[in-house]
Amino acid sequence: MRILCCLDGTNVEQLHNAVTKFAKEQGTLFGLLYVIDAGPKAEMERARERLLRRPGSPLLPHAEKVQQVELASAQEILNEGLRYFPGAEPLQREGKPEREIVNCAAEWQADLVVVCPRAEYGGKPEIGPKSVGHVARFVLDHAPCPVLLVRPIAREQFPISRKP
Amino acid sequence: MITLFTLVGIMVRPFRLDEAKIALAGAILLLIVGLISPLDAVRVLLSDWNIFFFFLGMMTLSALVDAAGFFEWLATQAARLAGNSPRRLLLNTFLLGSLISMILSNDATALILTPIVYVLITKLRLPVLPFLFACTFIADTASFLLPVSNPINIIVTSQFPLDLLTFLRLLFVPCLVVIAVNIAVFFLLYRRQLQGRFDSKRLSSPQETIPHKPYFRYTCSILALVAIAYIIATALQIPLSLVTLSGASLLFAGALFWKRSTMRDVSKHISWSIFGFIAGMFIVVQAFENTGLTDQFGKLLLHLSGGSSFGSVIVGTAGAAIGTNLINNVPMAVVLTSALHSISHAPLTVQHGFIAATIFGCDLGPNLTTVGSLATVLWLLILRQRGVDVSGLDYFKVGIVVTPIMLVVGALTIWLMLSL
Repeated sequence: MRILCCLDGTNVEQLHNAVTKFAKEQGTLFGLLYVIDAGPKAEMERARERLLRRPGSPLLPHAEKVQQVELASAQEILNEGLRYFPGAEPLQREGKPEREIVNCAAEWQADLVVVCPRAEYGGKPEIGPKSVGHVARFVLDHAPCPVLLVRPIAREQFPISRKP
Repeated sequence: MITLFTLVGIMVRPFRLDEAKIALAGAILLLIVGLISPLDAVRVLLSDWNIFFFFLGMMTLSALVDAAGFFEWLATQAARLAGNSPRRLLLNTFLLGSLISMILSNDATALILTPIVYVLITKLRLPVLPFLFACTFIADTASFLLPVSNPINIIVTSQFPLDLLTFLRLLFVPCLVVIAVNIAVFFLLYRRQLQGRFDSKRLSSPQETIPHKPYFRYTCSILALVAIAYIIATALQIPLSLVTLSGASLLFAGALFWKRSTMRDVSKHISWSIFGFIAGMFIVVQAFENTGLTDQFGKLLLHLSGGSSFGSVIVGTAGAAIGTNLINNVPMAVVLTSALHSISHAPLTVQHGFIAATIFGCDLGPNLTTVGSLATVLWLLILRQRGVDVSGLDYFKVGIVVTPIMLVVGALTIWLMLSL
């Protein structure tokens, strides 16, 4: 079985806890995917364009540093993942995270994609509408294989209203 | 017709053509068909020397300050002072952006501070978008603190000078109010992403961000001098480009002395096409002014305002903000400045209302959309309907919430300040 775990820098422990509960089968291969989001760079280019700077000329200030930090951060997140999933295959991509995840799942021939609803930066986990972010929603809609959505434990928020 | 085609061309940008080429093509066409004489064109350009030199000085100054590591040092300090709290870091980002916009213009915040903040936030593993948008928004929101905070202010005040106290009363104070609104709305919109703590061990030490200490100290001293000189020059009505250029020259001399930059490095950070764009726009709008249409436009604005200070602020703000989102804010400021010549007989409070509202609307209006104009947003929406994923809409979603609130609150504050 090939299981692709989608890291976002905040969720490795959550994914590990969820997956190891049932992935005890011999020969299970884990893939750890981290996607460098190309969105922020596109936003910065758009801001430049509005201030009458054409793409590429003059160069985006600190472009090299931006790339270095993105790569270093991706590497750090993947290394952290490897501490939880020793022997897993690290996979790094750049682009729109949702599209890279489903494409990578197909290329890597994943049997299962494991993803969290959204990155959690602290605070209590949210349940209810919009608790699944656009990346996870896209993966649920477009993945080439079954998807395991690892929701945070939020039993203290239950029972929810039984009225429609 | 040529002016209208030029403005529409800038708005639509067929074949992704550079705005500068479109503006210059319009100007050349006007010269060829004789609707403006070469002598008139030269006269217009020479009379606007302050604006050209200001753009040159502003871009040079920002590039040289950046070479000293000053922006990076400030951003690292802002993160250290946040005490591991993402909320306080967002607040510090807003305050830092305001300070940079105030002294070095919105260009420096939007173009140089934004990637630095992005690097910082990526290192800290915090959500990027709130901080990225904070930089882009505050660049414009804080751009009417001082006349030098946005080149638009220079375009307008070159024709309609406001003394320092009037500028501070009519624009600095409302700007502080609008900045507060901007921060409050962002805290509300991004409250979920700003929870928790960050690990400040991931930050570089402030010393590591300074590539060369003597040049850094020299840059800090020159910047302090430039800031004081801006205030004095505004008070004495001395062209601000002289201060900007002097500051840039002094910094450049230091950069050459300590081998921190070269002429080539600096010229790479200057967008030369901006000069072509402004030159083309000045000529095109002058030809338009010769037809008397800008005069009519000014009279129409005055009529719509009902001759009251409240009307002048509301009509001026709405006109500038809408126009800025139809075309870029630079041409809109040039058109409105030209139109405002026809209101010289109106009471002083009405004139001041229109001038402050023009600066306010043209400075803040672009916050509605990062992509420049509503035409582009509509195009993005069409693309989205066709299944093409467009991330530019993320910004628009925030802009459409924040900007109208800021426009209303700012306009009301200007009106209140007018009656003081």
